[in-house]
Amino acid sequence: MSIALQPTAAEQAFGMSLPHRRMEEWRWTDLRARLDKPYPSIDTAVDEKSVARIMAASPLAGIAKYRAVFVNGKFDATNSTIPALLPSVIPAQAGIHLSIKENRVQSDSRLRGNDDGVDDPLVVLNTSLKPEGVTLHFSSNITVLVEIMHIATNAAPRAVALRNHIEVAAGASATIIETFIGEGDYVLSSVTELELGEGARLDRIKLEWESAKANHLSQVVATLAKDARLNEFTLTSGAALNRQNGTYTFVGQNADAKISGAYLLNGKQHADTCLVVDHKVPHCTSRELFKCVMDDHARGIFQGKVIVRKHAQKTDGKQSSHALLLSETAEFDAKPELEIYADDVVCGHGATSGDINPDHLFYLRSRGIPEAEAKSLLIAAFVGEAFDNVENDDVRAALVNFAEDWLRQK
Amino acid sequence: MADQDTIDLVKTIEVDKYKYGFETDIESDYAPKGLNEDIVRFISAKKGEPAWMLEWRLEAYRAWTHMEEPTWAKVHYPKIDFQDLYYYAAPKSMAAPKSLDEIDPKLLETYAKLGIPLKEQEILAGVRKQGEKSTLDDDGNEVTAGRVAIDAVFDSVSVVTTFKAELAKAGVIFCSISEALREHPILVKQYLGSVVPAGDNYYAALNAGVFSDGSFVYVPPGVRCPMELSTYFRMNAKNTGQFERTLIIADKGSYVSYLEGCTAPTREESQLHAAVVELIALDDAEIKYSTVQNWYPGDAEGKGGVYNFVTKRGDCRGARSKISWTQVETGSAITWKYPSCILRGESSRGEFYSIAISNGRQQVDSGTKMIHLGKNSSSRIVSKGIAAGRSDNTYRGLVSAHRKALNARNFTQCDSLLIGDQCGAHTVPYIEAKTSTAIFEHEATTSKISDDQMFYCMSRGLSQEEAVALFVNGFVRDVLQQLPMEFMAETQKLIGISLEGSVG
Repeated sequence: MSIALQPTAAEQAFGMSLPHRRMEEWRWTDLRARLDKPYPSIDTAVDEKSVARIMAASPLAGIAKYRAVFVNGKFDATNSTIPALLPSVIPAQAGIHLSIKENRVQSDSRLRGNDDGVDDPLVVLNTSLKPEGVTLHFSSNITVLVEIMHIATNAAPRAVALRNHIEVAAGASATIIETFIGEGDYVLSSVTELELGEGARLDRIKLEWESAKANHLSQVVATLAKDARLNEFTLTSGAALNRQNGTYTFVGQNADAKISGAYLLNGKQHADTCLVVDHKVPHCTSRELFKCVMDDHARGIFQGKVIVRKHAQKTDGKQSSHALLLSETAEFDAKPELEIYADDVVCGHGATSGDINPDHLFYLRSRGIPEAEAKSLLIAAFVGEAFDNVENDDVRAALVNFAEDWLRQK
Repeated sequence: MADQDTIDLVKTIEVDKYKYGFETDIESDYAPKGLNEDIVRFISAKKGEPAWMLEWRLEAYRAWTHMEEPTWAKVHYPKIDFQDLYYYAAPKSMAAPKSLDEIDPKLLETYAKLGIPLKEQEILAGVRKQGEKSTLDDDGNEVTAGRVAIDAVFDSVSVVTTFKAELAKAGVIFCSISEALREHPILVKQYLGSVVPAGDNYYAALNAGVFSDGSFVYVPPGVRCPMELSTYFRMNAKNTGQFERTLIIADKGSYVSYLEGCTAPTREESQLHAAVVELIALDDAEIKYSTVQNWYPGDAEGKGGVYNFVTKRGDCRGARSKISWTQVETGSAITWKYPSCILRGESSRGEFYSIAISNGRQQVDSGTKMIHLGKNSSSRIVSKGIAAGRSDNTYRGLVSAHRKALNARNFTQCDSLLIGDQCGAHTVPYIEAKTSTAIFEHEATTSKISDDQMFYCMSRGLSQEEAVALFVNGFVRDVLQQLPMEFMAETQKLIGISLEGSVG
């Protein structure tokens, strides 16, 4: 229905209309209603002490060897640990080329979120906020971890943006961490482009641990060439409102994408992941696994769409989303969608939602494990399945620790 | 072997031949073309309806004029010109038939051709030989349980309802809704629109304004309806929309099984069918509603065919009530249909079993909604979609649990089978769990008949068509078993016919 709506304060500040629940992809996340005040795009004075404090608090602190740090949307050279900064070249033998781009706005056709030529609203928002970001180019097998970290310091409500571009050249491999962490009330808009060349391999780990008042809006646009392999994991535990869009497109045969994630939500947190996996060519494999834990009044949403285009034969696509609701008032909504136009494919999805299985709990208690501990064990085992997809041992251990802390605080 | 029957049938029928595509040459009374308040008044007057009914219709019509046509379904069709349709068509000779003798023989012939021998059944049951049920037993070849009472609807009016007398003995009211409005206005007024309100959605509002006939069933408390009830819908007149409305009420502790069948003649232009079905189950009642939908699907190029835009909803109003939908969808150019259950009563149960087959250029967007409101309510969804030719087959379903629906339980399984590489199979499930005590499980798979499976069967001497028929029948078995016995065999044949020309 097309109703002309009076622009809200937030819409006026952004200069664009925000998606609302009348739009199919936004039926469970009414961004227009959720952003109830203007978030201007302003520069904020940075207090070095709080940056240091927030950085140290990161669950993944100290794991990555190279680090590009952004504070409130601006590149922070002092805290970044990449040798030889602007104009930006890391010693060639390391095989990493990095450049910092200011106000990176480009009209890239791959950023079009959907096929009808309409830009995804999150990309439009990101572009309008004139984001900074890094371009990372990996041209050989890089074993050290590279982290892109965004820190928001406590200040007046504002909007900050980040746009990163990660390219893995043919035959190269890399592991990249993206961390979002902060304090205060803000809108964080992030767009990450991933480009995997022939036979390239990328492991990407994203940790979203924004402040409890923050709104995290992110978009990942990935393309996979022939024989490419992408392994992605996202841990969502911060922000009052989280919306993560992802578009993964297979453009070369025999590529493989593994996309997994976990939610650890409590209070009134709201997290919505909306993924589109587009099998444009034959013989590709995709796996999606999301494990969502919601406590108190938290609401978790998973929307996944697997498209298998005509002629994309021998596609193997699996998608599963599982929710564990720890309180009667928690909520889980899912829309696991399949859109298939080729006949020789194996596709499936599964979605479950429920409480801790009383039989499992009984079993553990009958073995002498106290109830609280038994519950923790079961929850840890539930999310653990998704953590197993993280290949780097240090990162996985740090994430498991983080999850254990979260459970303990419950 | 039923499978062999399927194959034989497929062989005997040429590609693109819709078995029920004939037209009955019969004079019809039409309302003037187009739609306005006067047409609504005309239909209401034709039916001799009470004033409150006309008011209800007009309200719905006015609401409809302000509504927008829904576009969210995954179907594409040229815009419908609602002013270019006849909203009322009745066979002329049908002024007010009192018994079968007064009915135009052409009509009876039509139904006989469709395999629905109204006359024979009526005689066997004996409207005129009431009470002499011994004749049946003497025959020996007709078992009481095997009989089916039929309400036959031809275009806009109900032609005849069989077995009425025998049903009346059990206290069951089974008649056309026009008759019910005249004879049981209190019941109709109490329940009509209570499940699907007049302004529920675009097509439901249109239907509420212009519906011309349909079936009405009321089963009194504690009664197990002695036979299967059935409605047979036939669209005949040109450029006519069929808008029927079915209302079934199962009072406390009762049981009824109802089957609906549909066919239409082969026409170049598309026909519109927008029906509303409302089911109400009170405490401990059970309703089983089965549909075999075989409207004309259009030719291989997608010309003609019926647009089937139907709103079906059941309300499990009472505790421990149960509503079960079973559907076999093989016809229609476009299907837009979501039989739903509102599980309001404590420990109520909803079931949805569906086989949706699309071939040629058919577009199906069908599924269900299970809305859990009551404690301990449970539901089960089994959907089997088969896409062949150049068709698109979408399952769209919602399972939701309200915060107070403690211990709600759902199991959903939707499987798609693709035959050929020009078709599409889509699954769009929505799951909303608002309480942790709800346990929802959803599974979906999409596959084709694998080469290994084909090779295995063919190496054992089955032809390609036989092998495909075998797999398809196996694929849909879970749902077939839910159909009343009488229709299982027929449905298997229908599945065979629908898939003809799709192999190889």
